[in-house]
Amino acid sequence: MASTAPALGAFPSPFSIETPPGCEGWEEMYPYYALFDERRRESDENRFWFWNSMHFPVPMPAFDAICIDSPYQAVGSWQNRVFAVPPAMGIDYRIVNGYIYISGNPVTDPEKVAERAEFFQRRAGHYYANWSDLYAKWRAKMEALIAELGELRVPDLPEYEADEIAFSEDRNTAFYEVLDSYGRVLRLGDLMWQHHFEFLLLGYGAYATFADFCKGHLPDIPDQHIAQMVAGIDVLLFKPDAELRRLARLAIDTGVDDAFVEGRTPLQIDAELEQTEAGRAWIAELERVKDPWFNMATGDGLYHYYRSWLDDPSIPYASLIGHIAALCAGEEIERPTDEIQRERDRLAEEYGALLDEGARGPFNELLGLSRTVFPYVEEHKFFCDYWFLTRWWNKVREFGALLAEHGFIEEGEDIFQLTRHEVATALDELVLTWATGGLPLGPKHWPPIVARRKELLEGLAAWTPPPALGVTPEAVTDPMTIMLWGVTTERVREWARQQDGGVELIGAAASPGVVEGVARVVKSVHEIADVREDEILVCSITSPAWAPIFSKIRAAVTDIGGVMSHAAIVCREYGLPSVVGTGRATAQIRNGQTIRVDGNTGVVTLLDGQGG
Amino acid sequence: MERHARALELLRRSDEPLFGGKSTGLGELLGASIPVPPGFALGTSAFGEFVDEAGLHSKIADAMARVSPGDVDAIGAASHAISEAMRFAPVPDSVREEVARRYEELASVAGDPAPPVAVRSSAVGEDSQDATFAGQQETYLWVREVEHVCDAIRDCWVSLYSTPAISYRARLGRALEEAAMGVTVQLMVDAAVSGVMFTCNPVSGDPSMVAINASWGLGLAVVGGEVTPDDYLVSKVTRELVRAHVHDKHVEYVPDPGGRGAVRIDVPDDRRDRRCLDERTLGALVDVARRIERHFGSHQDVEWALARADGELFVVQSRPVTAVPKREQKAEPQSAISLVMSTFGVRSNDAPQ
Repeated sequence: MASTAPALGAFPSPFSIETPPGCEGWEEMYPYYALFDERRRESDENRFWFWNSMHFPVPMPAFDAICIDSPYQAVGSWQNRVFAVPPAMGIDYRIVNGYIYISGNPVTDPEKVAERAEFFQRRAGHYYANWSDLYAKWRAKMEALIAELGELRVPDLPEYEADEIAFSEDRNTAFYEVLDSYGRVLRLGDLMWQHHFEFLLLGYGAYATFADFCKGHLPDIPDQHIAQMVAGIDVLLFKPDAELRRLARLAIDTGVDDAFVEGRTPLQIDAELEQTEAGRAWIAELERVKDPWFNMATGDGLYHYYRSWLDDPSIPYASLIGHIAALCAGEEIERPTDEIQRERDRLAEEYGALLDEGARGPFNELLGLSRTVFPYVEEHKFFCDYWFLTRWWNKVREFGALLAEHGFIEEGEDIFQLTRHEVATALDELVLTWATGGLPLGPKHWPPIVARRKELLEGLAAWTPPPALGVTPEAVTDPMTIMLWGVTTERVREWARQQDGGVELIGAAASPGVVEGVARVVKSVHEIADVREDEILVCSITSPAWAPIFSKIRAAVTDIGGVMSHAAIVCREYGLPSVVGTGRATAQIRNGQTIRVDGNTGVVTLLDGQGG
Repeated sequence: MERHARALELLRRSDEPLFGGKSTGLGELLGASIPVPPGFALGTSAFGEFVDEAGLHSKIADAMARVSPGDVDAIGAASHAISEAMRFAPVPDSVREEVARRYEELASVAGDPAPPVAVRSSAVGEDSQDATFAGQQETYLWVREVEHVCDAIRDCWVSLYSTPAISYRARLGRALEEAAMGVTVQLMVDAAVSGVMFTCNPVSGDPSMVAINASWGLGLAVVGGEVTPDDYLVSKVTRELVRAHVHDKHVEYVPDPGGRGAVRIDVPDDRRDRRCLDERTLGALVDVARRIERHFGSHQDVEWALARADGELFVVQSRPVTAVPKREQKAEPQSAISLVMSTFGVRSNDAPQ
């Protein structure tokens, strides 16, 4: 490892990044304002940008870019315009070769900071004081939004409108309905993102304060102990897997467990279950719990291809196979909730007792507040990122099917290769030519664009983005960057050192233990099914929805993540060593490479060769 | 009736003026049921009798009269004169008899007619912790037979008048001729592994950690800084090993095969960079550390050893940790909500609405 501190400019200028061969023109997939542009070079080149690999590990399809705009519109609104977080406005993003780099906008004028502090204390104070009530209302609001999305109909374009259009008062023709429905889909998405961020900053902030307080008074406390003291016992996110464990036991009790053979697809398993009455009864029971518990996403849902378990049951079925095998081998698969509860209380009590008397009061108060906010911190993912978003993508797919039906694109999924504005344009032409009976140009116009973009995404996926661009900051001071992404001064220094390509990756020790094994690099959700028994999972960020594969793997390594990462808690529960926030594990580690994961020190060592 | 010696387990903190800090510290540990090798303490009265019988009072007074703080030559001369006189003076019979009787008791406990013992000075005075630096903490390991035990005891007494010890007392303005010292005699543990532990992390000040240094053989190598020991940080709360640095431990002390004293040998290659403590032993050390901390009500610096024969854990010394880094202390305790506000960059002078 290099021992000298990196000089200023250890990271490349955003204006020095070359386009990978064959990917010329990738910029057409994104809006003009998302690019590093000569017209604001002076400002952009002198900022620190880091790759948001936590949310955007792979190149962004054109339509999916809505999941950059909407979240940053929403988070900035709350942070900057509603709560007015004193030193930090919102987050800017730029796209380079399909990858998303972000940078916070600081507030530097002390008078402005003081002015914002007044707003912040009044408004955030209101939320903290009434958290449980406000959160209960939030849940109701989210459930209503999900229901509204479910009721939203995507009309088709019939040759003749129905009689009602001619004879009833309430008559909208299909051209209007299609355009209106598309607009509403976009608006519901915006609304979800608005809700998503209403509590997020304050929730994470309360937790981060508790974590900082613990580390101030107990400098060596492992991160996972802090998380353990706060984490919920009976949280929503554990319900889906709890249901799977129950169904596994039911399969054994009713003698249908023989259908669950490693290597079979869900369809093959269902086909065998359909043969017997007990099997059909089991399927009926599964159907009963699917809503809402199968509204889990197969990954953190910011890309359209993160489907839900409803769409792609291979993850829950793999999990069922694992649970049944474990039960048959006499293993205990229940989550030991009593033990977790006892341990959580014991940790809180013992750590509290070790503190100086003066620190005990704030410790207990902060712990109480953290536990109050934590249900939101954990559950918003289920409501927003999984339940809503997987259904929302499916709604967009309905428009894809409509466009495909009329030859504007070859297949429904191609809609995601167009920007949301291009889709609006295509729909405009579609309903226009449907109305006029004229010859549409769309079927000649859009397919080649879609084909080119698929090529672009494939080419860009092979490119390795540097962890950061622009000016190396003296210190990372933006509370949001630290809190939400775990990007601290130390982490940035480490990234700078690693620019040389060392054989050690350093991250945060998230779950203790040391393991050596074969790496499985998972860059997209499609590759989850490739994970084999006893491999070490290397990914951008683990998702709670991947929980079932944690029973297979021996350790987990992520690019991004900090103390808040739910996956770290899952790892600890499964007793798997884990190192999070290594910056570039997925870029540096090759599939099949032997690596050592030291969850005690946060070091990942590449044992055979330098990696990719 | 014994006048000078007392079993260690009978001593308590209040006996410190008569028996010194080392012996009473061990007595406190035994009283708290901490495993400490059996032994006995000699009071300062034994030293007093030694000086009386040998008629050394005037010799000491004369030599010390010429000492002034900072006069290195005078201190050196006084030290030399007194030490030489003491070295040739006999240990009083009354002391010798008590030591012999106690040593026999230890022999029967050990099942060895001439068991090896450690003989250590036990300094008196509230600043006895500083005695280490003043060179008053003489230790003689692996001493066998009454004769040699008595010689070692006298050597401890002599150390009271070593050059650094005299300068130290002179600097503090102590009455130079009234110094006194106790002695601790304990059965030796032939240690396979030994070391030091703190009931907090002395570097970061974290009170939830036990910091353990360990190396092969008797404790001298670690205490004397002759090896870089393995370095472990263990959570008191969960017993998790939070950090382990295993180092190359190139030398160790073992009992001299001749039967007396300890010798320094090279550690065989296959053990040098092997971890010398397993998780179970670390857990046992943490248990003991917590009990000692609870007993004394303050952070402790503990010397310990694992017996070669059966791996049994013994504590051989415990003393308060004096220099723990002050952790971040706010002038006044802050409310949780104001701490949360500061996470978001609200400064304390931004008055709340």
